Amino acid sequence: MRGRTSVHEDFWALEDVSFDVPAGSTFGLIGSNGSGKSTLLKCLANIYAPNKGSITHFGKIAAMLEVGSGFHGELSGRENIFLNGSILGMSKKQVSAKFDEIVDFSGVEQFIDQPVKNYSSGMYVRLGFAIAINVNPDILVVDEVLAVGDQEFQDKCLKKFDDFRGAGKTVILVSHSMDTVRSMCDQVAWLSHGRLQAAGEAESIILKYLNSVNGEQS
Amino acid sequence: MAYEPESKRGQMNYLNEVWISRELLANLTLREVRGKYKRTALGQLWSLANPLALMLIYTVVVGFIFRIRPAPGDPSGLDAFPLWLLCGLLPWTFLSAVISSGLNSLVGNAGLIQKVYFSRIVLPLSAVGSTAYNWLFEMGVLLIAISIAGAFVLPWIPLVIVAMMLLAVFGAGISLMLSVANVYFRDTEHFVGIFLQIWMYFSPIIYPLSLVANGSAKVGGLLGTNVTVLDIYELNPVEHFVAVFRNLIYDNRFPSVSDWLTCLIWAVASLAIGAWIFRRNERNLAETL
Repeated sequence: MRGRTSVHEDFWALEDVSFDVPAGSTFGLIGSNGSGKSTLLKCLANIYAPNKGSITHFGKIAAMLEVGSGFHGELSGRENIFLNGSILGMSKKQVSAKFDEIVDFSGVEQFIDQPVKNYSSGMYVRLGFAIAINVNPDILVVDEVLAVGDQEFQDKCLKKFDDFRGAGKTVILVSHSMDTVRSMCDQVAWLSHGRLQAAGEAESIILKYLNSVNGEQS
Repeated sequence: MAYEPESKRGQMNYLNEVWISRELLANLTLREVRGKYKRTALGQLWSLANPLALMLIYTVVVGFIFRIRPAPGDPSGLDAFPLWLLCGLLPWTFLSAVISSGLNSLVGNAGLIQKVYFSRIVLPLSAVGSTAYNWLFEMGVLLIAISIAGAFVLPWIPLVIVAMMLLAVFGAGISLMLSVANVYFRDTEHFVGIFLQIWMYFSPIIYPLSLVANGSAKVGGLLGTNVTVLDIYELNPVEHFVAVFRNLIYDNRFPSVSDWLTCLIWAVASLAIGAWIFRRNERNLAETL
């Protein structure tokens, strides 16, 4: 602080980023830490409002940026499913219809009436994810939440994403695991320092990204 | 939250968005209500503890030590200081609690705001809702107690509910304004804490308005104008709300039309301004928090 006003520089987390995501595709977003991927996702999820430019989409968007949003520790798993579902935009009827599916997916059936503060961290996260994945939007935006849970659960998640793609829905995915991106994504955009480096066919963009990373290291 | 493509954001669309979020509002309110006294032995009864304690303290200090006696209820004939006190104190503690909890609702839920999209207005409104739930409980107990004491309050209950709704709307508007202010200036909660203390003492809650009227009459017009101390005192909206509640519950008569109108105008203005301020700043909340 100098005098009575703060002296600061504007930090543009994202600048001049433009790309199109084809409907029904699985689109990957890659880049090093701090490149602006999460900020971009938050703009897509309508949490941040862009200072310049616009985002247009057709159909419902749901974002999975954190699992267990709004969970109240003292309430039971059952009560939290309804609460979390409501926060994510599902009506009570929709949650009731999918209730069994959610509990089954998460694998916490035995403890569903226990307060969630007693859950292990894995259980907590599996329940949160199970609810989020059942929201059933047209466009799903996912931030690095695949790196949770054991192998069995990860397989279940990947299968669920496959079902999404089969149903013609769009998925926008941020991941640091190039294997995941390679196996799941049709197209990829690469962000670096808030700017779009390249966007297009998954394999070629991944190669470009890896080359630049390796190039910096050597 | 899954959201539809952004169409022209008119007034109707915003109201529509809030309406769509009504289930979420109910759920968040329930979350507050259920979580508040969980694992306590007395549970919901604790919401009575504070008003009862205040009632005892003020009855002793104001009724016994200061020897202040409000006029008996007209026409109910009731002359019980603790009950007279509660008729004004319960609405006040409600308003004060709505403002304090609503004020913090955005900052306190910063994590949620930064991770999920939903209509943010649901947060301060759920604070109003959960506070109102407790208030309903307290008022129920008061109405029972005062009926036992001899006041014929039953026919006035619908109007009491109307007055409660007006006060809730008034409080909600203030909450909306202050919740946004607190995001930008964290001092707001400290200022408001002090302001609420002052506001209570400048409202006829623990002492009757007649004391102010008498004192004002002795002083006469201020600075040579016709404006008296009482006129300035009566600018306070809480004075009118308390008058309405006391008339209905303690006196058992219809409050003056001017009091009703004043309450209505303050409630509508507060909500309109609060909603406008909230809506203007809603987009920037996640980034600012």
